Amino acid sequence: MTIAADHRTDIPAEAAKNSRRRLPATERGTLGISVATFSVLAALWLVATKYHWVSSLFFPSPDEVVRQFVDVATFGYADGSLLDHVLSSLGRLFAALLIGVGLGIPVGLAMGINRWARGVFSVPIDLYWGLPPLAYLPLLIIWLGIGETSKIVLLTLSTFAPICFSAQAGVRSVPPERVNAALSLGANRAQIFTSIILPSALPEILTGLRIAIGAGLSTLVAAELIAARSGIGYMIMSAANFLAIDVVFVGLIVIAVLAFTFAFLMRLLERRLVPWKGKL
Amino acid sequence: MLQIRNASVRFPAADGSTVHALDHVSLDIPPSSIVVALGASGCGKSTLLNSIAGFLPLTEGSITLDGVEIKQPGGDRGVVFQKDTLLPWANVIDNVALGLKYQGVPKSERYESARKLLRLVDLTEFADKPPYELSGGMRQRVGIARALATDPKILLMDEPFGALDSLTRETMQQLLASLWARTEKQIFFITHSIEEALILGTEIVVMSPRPGRIIARYSADFVRQFAETGDIGPIMSDPRFIELREAIRDLIHRPDTRGFGGLQ
Repeated sequence: MTIAADHRTDIPAEAAKNSRRRLPATERGTLGISVATFSVLAALWLVATKYHWVSSLFFPSPDEVVRQFVDVATFGYADGSLLDHVLSSLGRLFAALLIGVGLGIPVGLAMGINRWARGVFSVPIDLYWGLPPLAYLPLLIIWLGIGETSKIVLLTLSTFAPICFSAQAGVRSVPPERVNAALSLGANRAQIFTSIILPSALPEILTGLRIAIGAGLSTLVAAELIAARSGIGYMIMSAANFLAIDVVFVGLIVIAVLAFTFAFLMRLLERRLVPWKGKL
Repeated sequence: MLQIRNASVRFPAADGSTVHALDHVSLDIPPSSIVVALGASGCGKSTLLNSIAGFLPLTEGSITLDGVEIKQPGGDRGVVFQKDTLLPWANVIDNVALGLKYQGVPKSERYESARKLLRLVDLTEFADKPPYELSGGMRQRVGIARALATDPKILLMDEPFGALDSLTRETMQQLLASLWARTEKQIFFITHSIEEALILGTEIVVMSPRPGRIIARYSADFVRQFAETGDIGPIMSDPRFIELREAIRDLIHRPDTRGFGGLQ
């Protein structure tokens, strides 16, 4: 047999093609451009506040914000340290995500596989998913009180739907030939589910999780602005009531950092769990 | 022995008419034969393969494998698809061992069998690579090894080399011929290439579209020579090869092929 010829003709040709190919503009990195843009914006901020183009009452200078950040981090604000606020916000978000994932994935998978599950669950989900979460927050507060329960239920509702939908879409995106191949290798129904459908749906589920984190974070802060005794949203609202603009800025920066960290962790998780995504 | 008796598959088309994808097809695939179904796209050859595999129920007729009627997919029929269906999250050896895993074979044992098969398709050093790092031809070899791992009674191949470049395709044909010569496994092979059909088939059935039926059957024995020499050139210039090729070409391109329903 001269099968070895296959390696020689196949692989180097492919590799050479890849290395010689110039990356199209959309695939080249934008890090340099982004850093430059950020620097310009920061400089603009510094200059605008230093020369009083804007009133410091409405727009604090960067050094003021940094000073205030250290201050809030050490001495706290609105009945709690910065860490307390962050932890109570994160606690609500993680509790909701845990329930949202724990319910959303099995329900979504069931909806993808079973006609009855799809028919039954899609009705209540479609009914509430179109509503802005804050519209039914007052209702939840009346039913469940002003404590943690109403906020966690609100967040759970806003994280459940995207995870559930993505799990369902994940099941439907499984290539039928992949299932057929497994069947002709002798797989039974349970094996098809665990070895084919679940891993095939995983990339979609992770996309859903990313969307759920985004939805959860924005609902969280909004809910804390309205009804809470702790949390980053509560801190921002308290500061705004006293026109402490620099503290509002500190809150916003903390939220931005949280959002950025979540996005980064999700990318890490995707690279670790679904390195094959989009490859085959 | 795989026996197809009076197999028909009909389904409603979008415009309300009935599509006769397969029309009263009868065919035997005896042990240690390579039966090749040859025809243009839409002639029902894939429908026939999907019915043998158990993916598609027959409207009429029956298919039996060693006397047992085929009703659903099963591990006794290995399938190699045109588009490879390897699992991207599993490396090459786990893909090959997948069928054995389904059977509950312990890991060390199934890896041992998988390694043997990888040696057979000359991919030993790629055992731990994910499939997306392999070329199309190599992925298809993994697919063949995977289908062979459970030692099926018959191998069903649906245009397995159709998506490969011509050099790789020739290497793959060679590999298949030598695999067959060694294992004498019965194979049902689908192609739209007359040359491929003649080089690999011990029996070639020509199919015509709408309704999908067999319009001619030919016997050939070039595959043994091909397996021995690994050289396609002398076979292609063999007068018997040329004669058969031209006969089939005439048949396929003749406008009134439907009249040849009974041609042997």
